[in-house]
Amino acid sequence: MNASGIKLGLGLYTTLFIVFLYGPLAVLAILSFQTGPEGGPQFPIIEWSTYWYKHLFGLTPPSRIAPLPIEQALVRSLALAVMTMIVSTVLGVTAAQAFRKRFRGSGVVFYLIVLGMMVPGVLVGLGMALVANTLGVDRHWWGTAFVLHVVYTFPFAFLVMLAIFNRFDPSVEEAAWSLGVTPARTFRKITFPLIFPGVLSAMLFAFTLSYDEFSRTLFASGRDLTLPLAIYGTFSVEVHPNVFAFGVLTTLFSFALLGTYAVLMGLSVRRAKRMAIQEEA
Amino acid sequence: MLFDLELNNVGKVYDNGTPAVIDFNLSVRKGEFIAFLGPSGCGKTTTLRMIAGFEGISSGDMLIRGERMNDVPPQRRPTSMIFQNYALFPHMSVRRNVGYGLEVKGVPKGEREAKVDRILATLGLEDIAERKPEKLSGGQRQRIALARGLVVEPDILLLDEPLGALDANLRKAIQNELKLLQKSLGVTFIFVTHAQSEALALSDRIVVMNQGRVEQVSPPHQLYTRPNTPFVAQFIGRNTVLAGEVAGSEGEDVVVTTGIGTLSGRANGALAEKGRVNLVVPAEAIEVHAAGEGALSGAKNRVDARIERSEVVGHIAHLTARLQDGRVVALEAHVDKYRPGAFPAGTPVLLSWNPAEATVIPAH
Repeated sequence: MNASGIKLGLGLYTTLFIVFLYGPLAVLAILSFQTGPEGGPQFPIIEWSTYWYKHLFGLTPPSRIAPLPIEQALVRSLALAVMTMIVSTVLGVTAAQAFRKRFRGSGVVFYLIVLGMMVPGVLVGLGMALVANTLGVDRHWWGTAFVLHVVYTFPFAFLVMLAIFNRFDPSVEEAAWSLGVTPARTFRKITFPLIFPGVLSAMLFAFTLSYDEFSRTLFASGRDLTLPLAIYGTFSVEVHPNVFAFGVLTTLFSFALLGTYAVLMGLSVRRAKRMAIQEEA
Repeated sequence: MLFDLELNNVGKVYDNGTPAVIDFNLSVRKGEFIAFLGPSGCGKTTTLRMIAGFEGISSGDMLIRGERMNDVPPQRRPTSMIFQNYALFPHMSVRRNVGYGLEVKGVPKGEREAKVDRILATLGLEDIAERKPEKLSGGQRQRIALARGLVVEPDILLLDEPLGALDANLRKAIQNELKLLQKSLGVTFIFVTHAQSEALALSDRIVVMNQGRVEQVSPPHQLYTRPNTPFVAQFIGRNTVLAGEVAGSEGEDVVVTTGIGTLSGRANGALAEKGRVNLVVPAEAIEVHAAGEGALSGAKNRVDARIERSEVVGHIAHLTARLQDGRVVALEAHVDKYRPGAFPAGTPVLLSWNPAEATVIPAH
């Protein structure tokens, strides 16, 4: 095969990849602009409108289609994601800090931590439900489900921080100690500002993974639903384009989150690159 | 007498059982400039890190101004360390970097600023005081690291290959600055390097290390002219080491029987009456004569050889000669002595040297 053939093949592959990746999303986005309330979740578009977005916020006249029952679920999911993010990031940073030095049993501990992201969510969720029942513990999104979210997202935060510390120059800390700075203060004033981009990544991972976690939450969250469960619940009745409108909004929210992250990351990477260039000069 | 630093039989064994430093003994007077010199992996940096407190001491004692330091954490030792990569705090301005040590020690702001200003002025850093270190050159960052380490007024300043990351010209300039700074401040410097030229130019005494052991502790000139061990003879300067046995003595000279004849040199310290020794001949001590020259007939230390290669680097002529036993000997001298083309490859020559310039050391 000649070079242009390879190029063509790779181009085709990439195109297909992008189509499969973003196609469903694009279809949802387009259908969210279907007219309402009579328009359904299918082509063709009868008329372009923002009806379903207004419907989402209760700005349309009452109709036979009930508003999405997601308001409380959204609040719950955001709260759960923030709680998970904080706890997992703190655990991830401290655990990775501990792993900077070899200790007895560090190999076993490593795999025990990483196991949390490997085991199937349905199994863990079911297991948690059984354990809770056996022990007579009530299942709540802020209790049993929260624990599972932490078990699931902590390994991601941990691995991110492990990679960050792997590239961290420990002589900066030693320089601080040798100037008379205590280890605790060195961590706060020297180490933490330098690993902050990594902490940001860990936070992002933990937040997004928790925010749309489904299988673990399904069995462990009890009566009050989180957002993914609530949305899934609406499917069982009848699907209207208001779900799509909501999907578009949450995707935009995620993009905004990613955008903020990219800007912050870009700033610190540029600083690191300048340092590296100086190092070579 | 109170020493600034005493290392008594200090040893370091890593967790996996490999010894890194074995029986290190050294006493350093206040204001001395000491270099730890040796190939990579010889234990010099490990020893420095033990002094700083970054590595634990496995055996022996370390004292600073008479106080035992073995179990004192780094932040409470009166030392400060300069790193090869400078290890500046990238998120702080130059001024904050330099002042940070005083800041955490709780020095009042006025006094702190005065001290920082003084050291910045000493090192010519006033103009860049408000900048971030990332935007500065290697030489500037080196000076910031020095300022940061010195402003806390340590008893001992530890320097880990501080010139290693600089280019040759800058290294030379900072080398001079470093020496002047050390003399004017009177602070004890311990300097780790693998470059013998740095050690020879800067230090009052050099500690040569090899495979975790101290090979020799001597002032530079003595180290260069009178090596104590075969390792030092090979590592410092360009020496030819000839194995042989003691045959007797003539006045101050020791006569040694070697594979290429009976030769002589000065003993460095006590030698056994008989026994295996090494004769160390520096490259610049060897004279080259055209073969068959009558003037040399009565001289000692005559060795037949054949020129293999000759080249001139700047003002130094480097000759390589092959002895009859096949051994290759390096020679060097000012270019005035061996003009280019004077000894083309293949020329048979006679080599000789003054016995006082060669050293006889025990074989290991």
